[in-house]
Amino acid sequence: MLAPGDLRPLVEVEDLVVSYGAVRAVDGVTISVAPGEVLGIVGPNGAGKSSLLAAVGGQLRPTSGRIRLDGVDVTKLSPHRRARRGVVRTFQDTSEFGRLTVFENLLVAGLGMHGASLYAATVGARAQARRTATAAARAAELLARFELEPMRDTYAMELSGGQRRLVEVMRGLMREPKLMLLDEPTVGVAPHLSEQLRREYRRIAASGVAVLMIEHVLEVVEEVSDRVVVMDNGSVIAEGTYDEVMQSQAVREAYLG
Amino acid sequence: MSFSSLDFYLATVVVIFGVDVLSAWGLNLQYGYAGIPNFSFIVFQAAGAYTAAILTLGPMTATSGQTYVAGTHVPFPVALLAAMAAGAALSAVIGVFAMKRMRADYQAAILLILALILNQFIVTDTSLFNGTSGLANVSRPLGSLVNPSTTGWQWAYAALVWAICAVVLFAVQRLSRSSWGRALRAQRDHDAAAAALGCNVVALKMQVFVIGGAIAGLSGGLLVFYLQAFNTASWGYEETLAIFVSILIGGVANNWGVILGTFLVQIVFVEVPNLLPQFGYIGLVDALEWVVIGLLWMAAIALRPQGVIPERRVRAERFGLPALRRAPPVAAAAAAPGQQGAHEERLGAAGGASRR
Repeated sequence: MLAPGDLRPLVEVEDLVVSYGAVRAVDGVTISVAPGEVLGIVGPNGAGKSSLLAAVGGQLRPTSGRIRLDGVDVTKLSPHRRARRGVVRTFQDTSEFGRLTVFENLLVAGLGMHGASLYAATVGARAQARRTATAAARAAELLARFELEPMRDTYAMELSGGQRRLVEVMRGLMREPKLMLLDEPTVGVAPHLSEQLRREYRRIAASGVAVLMIEHVLEVVEEVSDRVVVMDNGSVIAEGTYDEVMQSQAVREAYLG
Repeated sequence: MSFSSLDFYLATVVVIFGVDVLSAWGLNLQYGYAGIPNFSFIVFQAAGAYTAAILTLGPMTATSGQTYVAGTHVPFPVALLAAMAAGAALSAVIGVFAMKRMRADYQAAILLILALILNQFIVTDTSLFNGTSGLANVSRPLGSLVNPSTTGWQWAYAALVWAICAVVLFAVQRLSRSSWGRALRAQRDHDAAAAALGCNVVALKMQVFVIGGAIAGLSGGLLVFYLQAFNTASWGYEETLAIFVSILIGGVANNWGVILGTFLVQIVFVEVPNLLPQFGYIGLVDALEWVVIGLLWMAAIALRPQGVIPERRVRAERFGLPALRRAPPVAAAAAAPGQQGAHEERLGAAGGASRR
């Protein structure tokens, strides 16, 4: 297993501040995640975890601070530009494209910016057909790996909560990501699917992806994370291995009041 | 009703039906596929109609009896293209602020208010398109081919309208089934997720807004050359509502379903009542039409929100994957580990299997 510092970090968040009016949801957070590492973020409700994740994903514009990806400053990039640089994410409420089939969900992810291009769909239709064929083959692989083949033509809105989560993760994998952001990735998931998901998160990290995960279920945090950051009131109050942070006095106070 | 007046009426209905189907395809791209609640759609049809009118009315003179800007004479096809361009250009301008990322209900409100403001603006500033009286005496095109004062001309024009419909149907089907159409539907269902997968959502919306606007402009051009007149009453905001109901009833994101919906709403519920004997006070039938359309809207949403002919499911077989064996999902999942090898085999034979 990788220890922190073994590799140059893939994502570096430096003194990040996210404010909503007078409220500082994220108040000067500095963290980094290396390729192949799972960094778990825990903390009570309102600690600023989701805002931090949204700032890294580009959904929220930070008030100040820097976010570097592979050494490149991406602080001001829009979400779709960050996606093109290898960032994928899941959302707290699953974000499936409900009236697209599972397979189409994967195709949209596989084609990414090319899929949204009017030029590629019309004038560049030949190159697009090649990209689509590549994406379809990859989608077929992932459907087999996640045992969702029988559901491939099902509308995503007809899936169970756990299956939707699988589709989100598969969509992320379609993009061969460098950084995967997971917002409560096992919430509302049936136990057997949760187990499958946890195995997948480890496997994704093992393939060299940096994973930044918000999770409330401490058991999941313990099992999946290499390193844990504890947040409270917008700040990092502890950082280390799961066992280290759980012994920290500050963490006990934050959780138990 | 004499035979010739019935003939006249039928031809008119066929033309109006074609124009309404065109509009519905344009709005269906925007709303059905892209989720943009364009409550100002009719404004873009009006842009096309006014443009086509002033480009063929000729320069305004003291004897024109109406005031308008930029009057000139251009050939009919050029005027139609200009009508499309006007719809597209106005969409591009409005899209700059209306296609920003915002909640759909705000977007709907902005676009509806815009429709009201623009209509009022044209009512008030009579120098542009002659206010409420509107533009008249637009001459019928293709008069050198068919005598424009005959029903023969009307039927010829109806054929032209439907020929254009066929071309537009081909185009909207190609677009909506393409990867671009899929991305449109994806951002409709979850825009933040689409953006997080690399899709430029604002650009997508802007593109479909402009394409829909071009189709609206085209429909307006075709309409004004048939009616020979166009005024501010022709494009009240409620006209957009009728198109929305056509889409909701026929089939959201289904271009064939939209033809059916347009027939039911625009022909059966809007046109046919004109044939009914008048009853009650003057205008009661017209008012009841809108009551019925409102009820239809509510009924569609409550009973069959996907429309009579719903969005078509795109199966993975279309992309060369082998057909799914129709096994119950539970059984298939239980057998899955052992199937891994078999699956790869089937994938290898995908080309053959998909042609079966």
